[in-house]
Amino acid sequence: MRKSLVAITIAAAAVPMLIGVAGLPRPGDPSAAVHTHVAARYIAEGAHETGADNLVTGVLLNYRGFDTFGEVMIIFAALAAVMAVLPRGATGLPGAGAASGIPISPIVAFIIRLTAPFIAAFGAFVIFKGHVSPGGGFQGGVILGALLMMLSLVLGRGVDRPLIPARSARWLQAAAPLAFFAVGVLGLGLTGAVLGYPAEPGRELLRELMMIFLEIGIGVGGGAIILGLFLETRGE
Amino acid sequence: MAALWGNIDYAAFVVLFCIGLYIIIAKQNLIKKLLGLNIMETAVFAFVVTSGMVDGGTAPIVGPGMSGPFASPLPHAMVLTGIVVAVSITALALCLIIEIYRQCGTLEADELKGAE
Amino acid sequence: MNQVFDLVMLALLIAMALAVARSKDLVAAAMIFSGYGLVMCLLWQHRGAPDVAMTEAAIGAGVTTILVLLAIGRTCRREK
Repeated sequence: MRKSLVAITIAAAAVPMLIGVAGLPRPGDPSAAVHTHVAARYIAEGAHETGADNLVTGVLLNYRGFDTFGEVMIIFAALAAVMAVLPRGATGLPGAGAASGIPISPIVAFIIRLTAPFIAAFGAFVIFKGHVSPGGGFQGGVILGALLMMLSLVLGRGVDRPLIPARSARWLQAAAPLAFFAVGVLGLGLTGAVLGYPAEPGRELLRELMMIFLEIGIGVGGGAIILGLFLETRGE
Repeated sequence: MAALWGNIDYAAFVVLFCIGLYIIIAKQNLIKKLLGLNIMETAVFAFVVTSGMVDGGTAPIVGPGMSGPFASPLPHAMVLTGIVVAVSITALALCLIIEIYRQCGTLEADELKGAE
Repeated sequence: MNQVFDLVMLALLIAMALAVARSKDLVAAAMIFSGYGLVMCLLWQHRGAPDVAMTEAAIGAGVTTILVLLAIGRTCRREK
């Protein structure tokens, strides 16, 4: 009874979707609707309007900057909710975990210490060159966050002497919303619209600097938030 | 059916979506259900990214010396935001699962339903 | 050649998703899910989306798998 009910539900979900998918233009068709409306203008004008050669970064930070603002607020709110749900010790730090007391193998520690500077340099490179080559703020931020996770396995000595002190960790985690807020106010002052980039042809350097500042904020904030999620889920 | 073979990519992503839906409906363990939710999410992202590609198209980076048809950059931006939302959902759900296990001692959905 | 690569990737994705559904050991399911994220990254790189591929490789095969393994470590490992 239960199995047939599951099968009927899956079939009822799959058949209309397959019928709908069969009616779409084939992937790769240049005359499909996705290529003819707004994307053609973004591809033609995007590089000199936004100052970013990487059109995805230009779309993310300039044309659809409010969506990215919402995204950084979402991941920040997820970290806040995780901190609210998990039980905290008497000092307000994460407690009651099951991961303490497991020694790190010396091979793993050696490899982490050997490769950490290169990973840090690569993460910074991906953040800074994100508007010219594939990459961007969040990609570099996740690389830095993964590096901080590895380092906290090797260097963190428990909750009394963590890898990043708690007070500065909170400010770093809020870096992305703060960067967006700062650039939004700057845009409000310059053009009269929140997060508005100055559109005159002589202000290209300012546009690029605002975009790089946003990318650094997203990168640092994303990395710190991922480290915070890791430390909270691990417990003490 | 011939039209479906032309859109074999889309059909495969629909199949992946339904496998994820099956995991959520039929499996009892909460962590397994969360993995099924992630499979559903990645299937939707794959569908959106595939809808933005062109024949012979390259990555949407208009540097000096780059030419040819470019893939549309809008689906890529939407999927990037979607991936961040997916990881936020996964992190919060995992912490709720840890808390449920600490309070109730079990992670099976039918036992949780009966235990109240 | 392009078509064969695409079909092999898609078949691999479906097989991995079915393997996640069927395995009773949750650590094995997490590992297969990490490989699934990696194959998805290769598929997107082939479609001309390098930014999305980089993000999915870092998050799907990296952060999500680590968080799931930490959660499995604090709860139970086998599905009943």
